[in-house]
Order: sequence, then structure tokens, then C-alpha cells
Amino acid sequence: METEILQTFLSESVELLQEMEDSLLSLENSPNDQDRINSLFRSVHTIKGSSGIVGIESVEKFTHGIENLLSQARDGAIPITGGIIELMLECRDHISSLLEFASAGEAELPAGVAQRDRALTAKVNSLLNGAAAGNEPKEKAQTPKAAGPRPEGDKAETDAWHISLRFGRDVLRNGMDPISFLNYLGKLGEITSLSTLCDAMPAQAEMDPESCYLGFEIDLRSDLDKKAISDVFEFVKDDCAIHILPPHSRIDDYVELIRGLPESDTMLGEILVRGKALTQSELEQALKLQKAGADEDHRGKALIGEIMVNAGMVYPEMVDAALEKQKKNLVAKAREALTIRIDAAKLDVLVNLVGELVISSANMEQHSQRIKDGALMESSSGMLRLVEEIRDSAMKIRMVPIGDTFSRFNRVVRDISRDFGKEIELAVSGGDTELDKTVVEKINDPLMHLVRNAADHGIEKPEARVEAGKPPKGIVRLNAYHDAGSIVIEVSDDGRGLNRGRITEKALNAGLISQGQTLSDRELFGLIFEPGFSTAEEVTKLSGRGVGMDVVKRNIEGLRGTVEVESEDGRGATVRIRLPLTLAIIDGFMVDVDNSFYVIPLDMVVECVELSEADREAANRRSYMNLRGEVLPYIRLREYFSAEGAAASHENVVIVQYAGQKTGLVVDELYGEVQTVIKSLGKVYRDVKGISGATIMGNGRVALIIDVPRLVQTVDAA
Amino acid sequence: MSKTVMVIDDSASIRQVVKFTLSTAGYGVIEACDGKDALNKLIGQRINLIVCDVNMPNMDGISFLKNLKSLPSHKFTPVIMLTTESQEAKKQEGRLAGARAWVVKPFKPEQMLEAVSKLILP
Amino acid sequence: MNIDATIEKGACMVRIEGEMTIYNAFDIKRGLGQCLGSAGEIRIDLSQVIEMDTSGVQLLLLAKREARRLKRGLKIVSHSQATRSVYELYNLAHHFEDLGA
Repeated sequence: METEILQTFLSESVELLQEMEDSLLSLENSPNDQDRINSLFRSVHTIKGSSGIVGIESVEKFTHGIENLLSQARDGAIPITGGIIELMLECRDHISSLLEFASAGEAELPAGVAQRDRALTAKVNSLLNGAAAGNEPKEKAQTPKAAGPRPEGDKAETDAWHISLRFGRDVLRNGMDPISFLNYLGKLGEITSLSTLCDAMPAQAEMDPESCYLGFEIDLRSDLDKKAISDVFEFVKDDCAIHILPPHSRIDDYVELIRGLPESDTMLGEILVRGKALTQSELEQALKLQKAGADEDHRGKALIGEIMVNAGMVYPEMVDAALEKQKKNLVAKAREALTIRIDAAKLDVLVNLVGELVISSANMEQHSQRIKDGALMESSSGMLRLVEEIRDSAMKIRMVPIGDTFSRFNRVVRDISRDFGKEIELAVSGGDTELDKTVVEKINDPLMHLVRNAADHGIEKPEARVEAGKPPKGIVRLNAYHDAGSIVIEVSDDGRGLNRGRITEKALNAGLISQGQTLSDRELFGLIFEPGFSTAEEVTKLSGRGVGMDVVKRNIEGLRGTVEVESEDGRGATVRIRLPLTLAIIDGFMVDVDNSFYVIPLDMVVECVELSEADREAANRRSYMNLRGEVLPYIRLREYFSAEGAAASHENVVIVQYAGQKTGLVVDELYGEVQTVIKSLGKVYRDVKGISGATIMGNGRVALIIDVPRLVQTVDAA
Repeated sequence: MSKTVMVIDDSASIRQVVKFTLSTAGYGVIEACDGKDALNKLIGQRINLIVCDVNMPNMDGISFLKNLKSLPSHKFTPVIMLTTESQEAKKQEGRLAGARAWVVKPFKPEQMLEAVSKLILP
Repeated sequence: MNIDATIEKGACMVRIEGEMTIYNAFDIKRGLGQCLGSAGEIRIDLSQVIEMDTSGVQLLLLAKREARRLKRGLKIVSHSQATRSVYELYNLAHHFEDLGA
């Protein structure tokens, strides 16, 4: 149960951190966007709140200051500057690593992380203190606040609660001492200021030493809510006038408070300023307001003892807060109604079952065709159609838009721009293109690498760009679209493009090609995906990560996808990734080789022809055939998979196309189209080249799924 | 200097809970099973706080409170009254006798500790 | 509790010992009052106070105020841990201690 809560929290946090990052990046362009500031605050606020609930103290503690800072930013007390955005991004990363440690169950933070924790906290606190002391941060000058008097209803800058207490005469006699309450209060937060007032104490002759005459003006920094604070004084509520002003209360409320208390206004005002509850200018405004109000309103002193929290007095800002909370709840509810969180594993089971259902109903359809019973055929084909619809809907459940993945790269591009003195814009299109969730998860790392490469190696420095007659700001483009049963993702840039000369040189050094070998662009550029190939001249922060393009290629192929690169010297490069829409089900073409079944992904099948006698005879001498005058390399699957039986009396060729290249696969029998649910192969078969998975057919037999890209590569290499 | 709390209740289990909670938090605890017992045990003792049930045989909580207020060396001792939700009338009576702090039964140990921390001098 | 006042070199020296609480607030008030009624400077020694509550603080505040009104010097010449912690909580340390010897 607890792990479940933790899991929910962690996945929620990942989303919130992403939101936080999105907000920050967007604020970089429009620092005054109040909605963004609000949503930034909300993200942090929620992370803090839920980390507290699930008991991840490191996160709760760390986010405390950030929340305060953002709360002040939200109220306009601290302007959002480049410096703050930078700091917040660092904090965001730090939260992310804190979460990692927490989820790994690490009780102690590694020294480096702990140090970072302290450093960031110190930075946040210094910003906070700067604002509280009225020494506004330097950046403030960049966005000067409107001069002139504050509008009415303006709020005080303080983030502390202000508590005003006037104890009743009998509290000591009733066994209650203010000392114990204040001592307890001090345990709930930080008392930043406390003034003891004894103006109510009469002259010596009248003074009863068993009576209490004291009052207190207190500023308290605490996470507690108003109820919790007023609960501290629950036992004296009948014997004490209590006023509690939440942080950032309206100045009018301070006016009300000052007016309601028996002591002189000027003295109270000074106490408030000294305690940093109000700034001097806020006080001046407050007293002015009060003076204006005094003529028409004489209730002043009558208020004492009447305005009490417990008497049901509600401050306007409390109403605001309540309303806001209500509104938030409504929004959250609406969102809940629109989306349901499902355990991915449950979904996998469903999709798997639906896949099986498709196969067995296809099987039934075949049988009914054979029996040729009209009614049976009708109902079975109706059922097949429905089952296919179910399959499509089930698959759609797993489909998610790639946009979320794309937007993560904003940060990458931004960081690279800053670190390497470049100007780069990330242009995203096709973000609503949907693909299988598993694919989305697995494509993230390869994409990250490609985007980094484009920004780091592709885009030139502004000066170099201007020299080359291009605008100083480079563009990295991410695009996605559907194309014939697969999804295409392109990462392109308008940078310097791939350097043919340098690639050739590198390839020669690495022994990938031999001297004097001429290669087409496609072949040459394809070399950058070879293991051990890297053209980065300088070791940069990014290329130090030890992930090469070969890993990118391997990851993509692991998804049954392909990758290719196009480039024009000086104009930029485009890396194009082609992925299947889903990993679970493929439309295939079933064939038989030596009484074993194989499935070839249908989207790669071009046509089927019979292998002619002439070609069969020539088979021993060459591995290509004549297809209507075209030279077509082919592979005899019988040989490839080392089948032992003698060749069938006649053979067929399935012509497949991959990466623009046609290849023939020689098989015994053709069975036609099937739909198959891919099962991953056991460990034993994982390394078998040319097989990407297996499927169980309606009759219970196993068919192997041909890995066309791998096969085509073998032909290329030959 | 360790603080001493007296707990007065006819139910041994309630005394047990209060005693355990408070002694764990570092307070010394003296037990009494009713008002009379409590008055006897108070003599000559320095008690910093009293936790007292309302309904008890021999001498109930309200009578105890009235008696306490007449003892010159104990009359200002803070008292937490234990009550149940339904004892509104008793509560009124207690107020008149000077009771201000109430803890409703059943309570959680931390509620008791919280109430004690609010009232006891540091 | 014990409060005793002696006249030393023209100043009234008040020494309070034990508890400075509501239980003996009347006695303390009387003692301080007598001292304020006599002539000369007032010096208060709190070093032997083992406990102080709000009533005690109030009496010190009262004495200070009264002394000021009568234009008499009043100094708290020594403190104990018990009194200091109460000043600190009430943020009155500067009020009492800056007058200390």
C-alpha cells in the first residue's frame, strides 16, 4: 500500500516537475505572465504538499523556501528575473535528484547532493531575506514597479503571520500563563518578531499582581493554517483577544487591526514595521487610510475583545483563499473526469488478450470459409470486424501524443544555447501525433541525443552563422507525422550540415571504409551510426556522455524502427526516424520455410513472385536475381536459418523493401496476410539475427517474425 | 527541572495512557483515582499541571476543582478537564469553577501531549 | 520565596530568592513597593530566582515604570537562568539586561 502511494507520488512529481520546467521556460520569454507564475507556484506547492504526506522529508524541506519565494513572486513582491529562473531550474533538477534518492530508499544523501542542497537553499533564502528586509534584489531594477501610491486592497509583502494578543485579566488565576502558549507557538514556527506590551497595566496602587495585563504583537513564520494557529490559543479563547492576520494580508486588515487595538496607533505601527509585518511605506499608507476612515467610523476601540477568530470573524483574504481552493478542486475534478490513470501493466494484459482474440477470430473466419456455411460465415466475419474494432480502440488507449516528449527538449536546447554561446530556437510541429506509449518512452533517449547533437554540433555560433549569410539564431526542428502505418520523427537543424570530408577521414581512420572507396551520400552519412564513430572535434560537455550515434541506432532498431540522415553542406541536416505505430501487433505476411512458419511485417512486403528455374539454377553462383530487368539481391531463408531439409520442389520470393532498398526473401510456401501479436523471444533467441520476435498462431504453433532491417543489412554487408 | 503532572481518573486504563504518554515525554506523573485521593496526594507536593476527569466516585472533577481553588499553594495550577462530548452541562459548571482547558474523550496520546505543552510552563 | 530589602550605601538592594510566581506575587509587589517608597537608587538581585512566570515579569515591568515615573534609578543587577529565559521569550532582554551591572 505504501509503495503504491509512493509510486503515485513519484509519477505525479515527474509531471509536476515537467510543468515547472515548462512554466520557467515560458517565463523566460514573458516574465510577467501571471498565469505562468501561478502555475509555477502550484507545481512547487503540490510537490511540497504531497512529499510531506508521503514522508519524503528531503523534498519537503528543500521545497519550503522555493515555495515561499514563488509565493512572493506571485504576489509581485519579488520580480521574476533571469537569475531567478536559472536558480529555479537548478532547484527543479535538484528536486528531481532528491526524488530519485528517495525512491531508491536512500536515507542519506550523498555528500555532493547534500552540499548542493545547502547551496541552493542558501541562495533561495538570501533572495527571500533580501525581499523581507526591503533590500530588494539587484535585478529588481530591470522591472521597476509602478511608482505612486499602492492601490487600495494592496497586500503586505511579508510572508509571516501576524498575531496580536491581549490577554484577559483572569488568565493567570485560571492557571494559564502566556509564557506557555508563546513557548508552544515557538515550536510551531519561527517567531521572527515579538513585542511585549504592558500599556494596559494600571498604576502601582491599582495593579493586581495576580491579574494579567500583557499584550503581544507577534510575527510568526510557519506553514500552519489559520486554524492550527488559533488552536494554540484554544484554551484562552474566552480570556484573550486574538487577531490573526495571514501572510500577505491586505493592508486594510492591518489598518483594521491597528485601529482595533487599545495602544497608540503610531506605536503599533512601529511595532509592525519593526517586526517586518509592514514596510515603512505600507505603514504610511495604512495610517493615511486610517485617518481618512476615522472621521466616518468611530467604532475603533469598541472592536477590542470583539473581533476574535473564534467568534466567526472571517477575513476577506480567507474567503479569497477558500474560493480559490474551491475553484482548484473543481478544475482538478473536471480533469479527473476526463482522464483515468491505469496501471500500464493492466493495459498490456488487455492489449495482449485483444491481440489473441483477433488471431483466434481470424482463425475461426478461415474455418467458416472452409465449411462454407452462409450464416456461419456472415456471423464470423461480423465478429471479426468487431474484434478488429476492439483491437483498434485498445491500441488507441495506449497511444499518447509525442508533444510531451518534444517539449522536454526545450530545456536541452536552452541549456546548450547558454553553455555554448549560441542562439537556438526549438521549433516543434506535429506534437499531437500519437504513438504507442512504450515507443514514446523508449524513443526519449535517442531523441535526446539527436537534439543535443543538432544543437551542439549542428548549429554554429552566431558569428559563424552571420558570416555564412544565415540569421544568427539557429533553428532545431522537431517534427512528427504519420506515414503509411508508421510514425516518422524528424530532428533537423539549419546548421553547418554533415561534413563529407571529415566523415570520410574518420571512417578511414576507424577502418570502416578503405582508401579510394566511393560512397553515396546515404552510405557515407550512414557511417555516423557505426560503433565508435564520432566527429566531434572538441570534447564538449555533451559529447562526454559516452553515448554514440550507434547506440541511437540500436535503440531505434530495438523498436523495429529505422533511422537515416540527410544533409546538405552548410544548410543543415535532418535525421529521420521511422517507427512502427505499435509494438504489440503487426500485420504480417506468413510464409513457410522447411515446415517452419515465419511472419514478414506486411508493411515491408512489396510483392511475391515465383523463383524461376533459371534463377534457381544460378542460385549457387550468385545471390541476386532478375526482376523484370532489375537486379534484385536475395537471401535464401532456408540457408540463412540453416534449415536441414532439401529444397522444396518450387520456391517463392517475397520482395521486401527497407530503407529504399529492395531485397528478395526466398521461401517455400506463401500463406498470405495474418495479424500477429508479438511475443518477445526468450533470452535464448534474443541474439538470433534476423528474428525480431515470435507469435503464436491460432492452431497453437509458433511462428517467428522476420527482422527485415537486419536481414537487409546482411545482404548489404555481403 | 522535571515537571510533574497529576492525573486524576477512576479508570485505571485512562490513567495508564496519560501516564505513559506524559512520562515518555519526560514529565513526572502522579496518579489519583478520584478527587479525594487527589487532594490528599497534593499536600506538600509541587504539581505543575493536573489532568482531571469529570465523572468520578467519591469526589467528582468539578468538586475537586472548587477545592483546589481554595488551596493557597495549588490554586493557580493549570487543569485540563477530561470530558465526553455529551457533557455540555458539566462543562458549563466547570467553567464557572474556573476550568478552561478541555480534552474530549476518547483522545489520542498526541492530543493530550499537545494540550499539556500549551499549558505547562517551560 | 524570600524577598529582603537592605539599604546599602544609600541604595535599596532587593534580593529575591526562590519562586517569583503568582503564588507570591502579592508579597513581591509589596516588597518592591516598599523599596520604591524609600529614597535612593534601587538595585534588584534576581540571581537566586529559580522560577519566574508572567506575574513576575509584570512586577518587574511595573517597578521599572514606577521608578521612571518617580525619576529613580532602578537596575536589575543580576539575573538567573530562570529569569533570563523568560526575558528572552518575551523579547525583553534588552529592557532589563542593559541596565544590569
